Amino acid sequence: MKRAMKKKRDRLAGVALCCALLSACNALPRDPAGTSRLIEERRAFSVALVDPSLNASPQVVRLIKELEKRTQAHARWQAGTGEALLQRLDDGTLDLAIGHFRADSPWATQVAFAPALSISGRADAPMELKAAMRNGENRWIMTVERASRATSATARAQ
Amino acid sequence: MSDTSLPDALHEPMKRAVRLEYWNIFWTLTIIAVMGLVLGQSETMKTAWIEDTLGLVPPVMFLVAVHLERHAHRSRRFPFGFERVNGLGFFVAAVALTAVGALLLVNALMALGSREHATVGSIVLLGQDIWLGWLMIAAQIYSLIPPLFIGRRELPLAHALNDKLLHTDALMNKANWLTGAAGLAGIIGLGLGWWWADSVAAAIISIDVLNDGIKALRSSTAELVDGAPRALSGVALSEDAQKISDRLKAEFPGATIRLRETGRLIRAEVHDTHPPAECRHPRYYWPGRDDRAWRLAQVSFIPPTDE
Repeated sequence: MKRAMKKKRDRLAGVALCCALLSACNALPRDPAGTSRLIEERRAFSVALVDPSLNASPQVVRLIKELEKRTQAHARWQAGTGEALLQRLDDGTLDLAIGHFRADSPWATQVAFAPALSISGRADAPMELKAAMRNGENRWIMTVERASRATSATARAQ
Repeated sequence: MSDTSLPDALHEPMKRAVRLEYWNIFWTLTIIAVMGLVLGQSETMKTAWIEDTLGLVPPVMFLVAVHLERHAHRSRRFPFGFERVNGLGFFVAAVALTAVGALLLVNALMALGSREHATVGSIVLLGQDIWLGWLMIAAQIYSLIPPLFIGRRELPLAHALNDKLLHTDALMNKANWLTGAAGLAGIIGLGLGWWWADSVAAAIISIDVLNDGIKALRSSTAELVDGAPRALSGVALSEDAQKISDRLKAEFPGATIRLRETGRLIRAEVHDTHPPAECRHPRYYWPGRDDRAWRLAQVSFIPPTDE
């Protein structure tokens, strides 16, 4: 009787430990500048296209919809083009920039790139359609990475 | 006395030490591979990985030195054999540790100064998106385990062989938990959103590497410039050497005693006195336990110059 009680108690302790570990898994990572928290509070994230012609791209539309679903927030489109947008990511005034970037983009150390949604161009100088985020905002980066993989077979394969 | 540089009494413990160092290299390679797979952009991980890679230097230098000590014979070109190869290996390991430690510290401070925010994203493992930080934590925990066991087994062998290279390696392995803990704290801190935790942990690890390097450098250069024998565990003078000096001073009052170390062996010069009438083996003057008498390899006498 006592042994059965002990077994039950051990099992419960095991389940509690698993729950604690799972919740810890979910708690990390956090964003140093609080991007994910701010998105949750504002129920919106700011996004801009490095190349305005991408507006109608189905891959971009799918990614934004997936992000809206995952964050329960709306995309707020921002004006602007080119590298100035990437600088705004670094400054923390923009949450997401989407565009075609070279696989060996010199911006790779300044911003964090999600897996490519599609790859085009020459084999020796491929251009990748992908999202860029502020460096170090690891929870937000992970959210965008997950959304990219969920909407693109190319991203899943990387 | 053997024809090679290794005293006969040390063949058995040396065999065990060599076997242990091969295991050490094997486990270190597995750690390097595991850490290398999950490096990411983390400064902590890069520093810990370089530290683990540097961990190969002492065992490799030890094996090279032992090979020469055991197998290379005295020759016309090397009449004293290769007793000092171990000291040279110790010096090379010390230079590598010091240089890389300093470089890593500068890198960590620069990352801290420029407020670098390390990106640690996710990867897909078994169909699940996992934060790479969890794998880094697992790799850091793995990297703690083998060195703890190896360090514990190296220490008694380092004492038996009076081997500074092996001793430094043992201490580095035993102290590895400290850098491992700093590494774990760095990754967890990064996960908690403390961008500075990564660089601070990297700086702590590099200070530890630098400290090991400077200690080893001081001790190894002392040997290379014929300084008095140093203790195994640091830069203090060796207790054995002090006892030999006392013993020789008691036997030859008024003489000047000069001691130096060639690898694991001590050589003594007794100045301003004549040698004793009867023929004595250097081990006669060994003041401690007989099983360690092999350490005193030479006692030379230099008579006064005014005769």
